[in-house]
Amino acid sequence: MSGPDEPRWLDEIAGELRREVPVRPAWRARLLDEVARAPKPAVRREIDETFDDRGEDALDTARRRWSLTVGPLGSLAAAMMLVALGAGATYVAMSRLGANASQRSAQTSAPAPSHLVSSAPVSAEREIVRFEIAAPRASHVALVGSFNEWDPGATPLSRDPATGKWVVSLRLPPGRHVYAFVVDGDVTADPSAPRAADEDFGSPNSVVFVSSPRV
Amino acid sequence: MSVRLLALATVFAASVATAGAQESDRTLPSQLSAPTRATLERLIDSARVAGLPVDPLYSKVREGVFRAADEPRVVAAVQRLTRDLGDARLALGDGAGAEEIAAGANALRAGLHPADLSRLRESRDRRDNHPLTVALVVLADLATRGVPPAMAAASVNELVARNVSDGSLLSFRQNVERDLVGGRSPASALDARTRAMIDDRKP
Repeated sequence: MSGPDEPRWLDEIAGELRREVPVRPAWRARLLDEVARAPKPAVRREIDETFDDRGEDALDTARRRWSLTVGPLGSLAAAMMLVALGAGATYVAMSRLGANASQRSAQTSAPAPSHLVSSAPVSAEREIVRFEIAAPRASHVALVGSFNEWDPGATPLSRDPATGKWVVSLRLPPGRHVYAFVVDGDVTADPSAPRAADEDFGSPNSVVFVSSPRV
Repeated sequence: MSVRLLALATVFAASVATAGAQESDRTLPSQLSAPTRATLERLIDSARVAGLPVDPLYSKVREGVFRAADEPRVVAAVQRLTRDLGDARLALGDGAGAEEIAAGANALRAGLHPADLSRLRESRDRRDNHPLTVALVVLADLATRGVPPAMAAASVNELVARNVSDGSLLSFRQNVERDLVGGRSPASALDARTRAMIDDRKP
């Protein structure tokens, strides 16, 4: 239902839009487009119908209490909150899954040379796989393999301050993946993962198997 | 707030969640010379026509480029892998999946005989057609660690025939590896761990 307040409502929105706000031009354009096309909020329309016969005072009170007008800044803030929520949930999920894979590896991994100790994934029931390697004197460690087209710049590991190990968590599709670590430029297989017998280019690789999700 | 904005935010959050996942790139690296690329394309096309999985071949090329191998060596590696993939497919049967074939090729490379793979397939066929990929990964690993291939094949085949799970097979591999690092002989480690796993499964 369209009431006599609608022009004022549009004026308020227009005034809000004229204000300078620190929004990226592309986002601002999208917001402007959305606001221009937005219908009057459903809740407000319902309130209008309910209080139609009770006089302007009651109507204004109800509008102040129930109105759901959201300006561009409100929309932007809500969008940012959703993104932050999604990113946070992802971080928590990856941390938990990664920790599980690491614990499973740590319990079963074989002793390895003291200068290079790895507790790598042998298998992961889930798609997120945590790779880790202890290389205390290394300054840069990366992961290369069939999953990142053997690109040494694609998957750098970061040093975990708590353990001193170099770690990275990846979401891998189910299947058999061949990989190796690059420790300060030297390609090395993972000491505690299955080996791939494919030394075509000088040094061996390792294998990680990611099983299909159970149905 | 508009549904569109919500969808935009959701898509952005989802992209964070899937970071790291990459599709396999089926192009040849531009660092290779044109004649080498043409040779490799012919090889890979032949493999594709023969019904072999080609992702391992692209991966092998990229590994060679990453390791700065000279081009003839890259071509030779791809030729050899193509041959191994064909032999593995033959040994494992037409029903074998791409992952099984790739793992089978790796097992052959480790010194296993095609007949070992065929026996494994027969054991699998008597079960529930469960993929042999993990069994083949374990087999290749044991062989590269010095376990005689025929012994490794017999042990893994026995475990597969007894419906040992993939997870147990991987634990079996790790236990054998631990014994080897501890100084046990490959034959002794394999025998002891195979018996232990079979005993564990007795009611």
